[in-house]
Amino acid sequence: MNQPGVYTKKGRNSQQRRFRYTTLRFIILFCAFLIIAINPCINYYLHNSFVQGWYQSFGIGSLWFVSPLEGLESLLITKTVYMPSIIGMVLPLLLVLLLGRVFCSWICPVTFILEITDRLRRAVSRKKYLRNRLIVVKKVLWFTLLAEILISMIIGAPLFVFLSPPGLVGREMMMLVFFHTLAIEGVLLLVIITLELVTRRFFCRSFCPLGALLALLGSKRKLLVVVESTQCVDCGACEQTCPMGLVPQMGEGITAYCWNCGECLDSCRTGALRFSWNTKYQ
Amino acid sequence: MTGLSPHQAGARFLESPVTKNRLRPPGAVPEEIFPAKCIRCGRCVEVCPYRSIIMLDIRAGIHAGTPLVQVENIPCYLCMKCVDVCPTGSLLRVSQESTRMGLAIIDQFSCAAWQNTALCRTCYDKCPFPEKAIRLDQLKPVILPDHCTGCGLCTNACPVTLANGNKAINIEPLYARDKVTV
Repeated sequence: MNQPGVYTKKGRNSQQRRFRYTTLRFIILFCAFLIIAINPCINYYLHNSFVQGWYQSFGIGSLWFVSPLEGLESLLITKTVYMPSIIGMVLPLLLVLLLGRVFCSWICPVTFILEITDRLRRAVSRKKYLRNRLIVVKKVLWFTLLAEILISMIIGAPLFVFLSPPGLVGREMMMLVFFHTLAIEGVLLLVIITLELVTRRFFCRSFCPLGALLALLGSKRKLLVVVESTQCVDCGACEQTCPMGLVPQMGEGITAYCWNCGECLDSCRTGALRFSWNTKYQ
Repeated sequence: MTGLSPHQAGARFLESPVTKNRLRPPGAVPEEIFPAKCIRCGRCVEVCPYRSIIMLDIRAGIHAGTPLVQVENIPCYLCMKCVDVCPTGSLLRVSQESTRMGLAIIDQFSCAAWQNTALCRTCYDKCPFPEKAIRLDQLKPVILPDHCTGCGLCTNACPVTLANGNKAINIEPLYARDKVTV
């Protein structure tokens, strides 16, 4: 069983019908996008408000979710505790503490739009992977979060909430259905989509404060991408496919910057990469 | 709302959009704290069955994404659905009677009843709390501030529209200017 050749062969043979995280993730992203696209229509045309909101605050009946960054900013700026808001943050927090930044890679509507952009680009350019032309040091992410929270506290209004790209998608949908217009701040989305033609997930990597907060909270997560160094053949496929510009083969799947999308697992021909539950120890 | 004078343009970024006939939904905390508390999730906008609540965009500066009721377009019918869905406590749970979105003020110089040009009592007829929030004093409408909720039904119905867009009865968001003690 430990012969590398056996693994390679087995890996190649089973690749055709192998379970792909990318497919599953795309389906989930699509459903998550569909929810915020259809919801305003149901709210508006059918006057049914059972499921409501988008990923800033999402309500299913009496079960409310509040986005952790928005909730935190509201808490910090008003300096008062409002329990429904705190309780709404519990489930998202549990998700991020256990699974890490999966909201970003599996649910976020901006990721969905960027996936579509990526697929369209591939269809046009025939180049499978985009060369990342614009690279910023990964640590910028933390400064974004810090700056975001400080500026919000100075101006006395949560800054991210009205310029939040994940929330912005939902807001634009709602504006379109309810008022048959679009909010001007939507140009930010166009900027992000344009940047996707230069560098993959440029905004998500370094400038999304929500992503930064989720990365920070998920830095001690249970679900990790680990590399089995005995099976790794150093082909570099995972490095090329990683939308976050990480090098999973060097064990970067356990850093705070990894968002557990599973693209590297799909790209790995030898099966050296896998999801692991809390076996971090290098 | 009116012309942009230079000194206004800079201040607009921080200026509250709440002015005459431009109100927050029921139960709103004072403006001093509202932009801080509201996470712009838009759920009050989505739940409002009368489409009274609109959502501001980036032109409102830091107030972008916050809800606003423009009473002369669509007033608030006090169904209180928005206060039930607010996840942040920006809209606190209040009853219909204790809602204070503002206070109706009659402009006696343009009101047809006060000017004796017509026997108009539209505001009195439309008020959800007649004889409590508004009554007729010798056929002239008078507001009783203790019970007026500021819902704007009277403003919306008022047949008199002035050149500047105001009605003969307008809602002043007095309570929005309260100070908060945290």
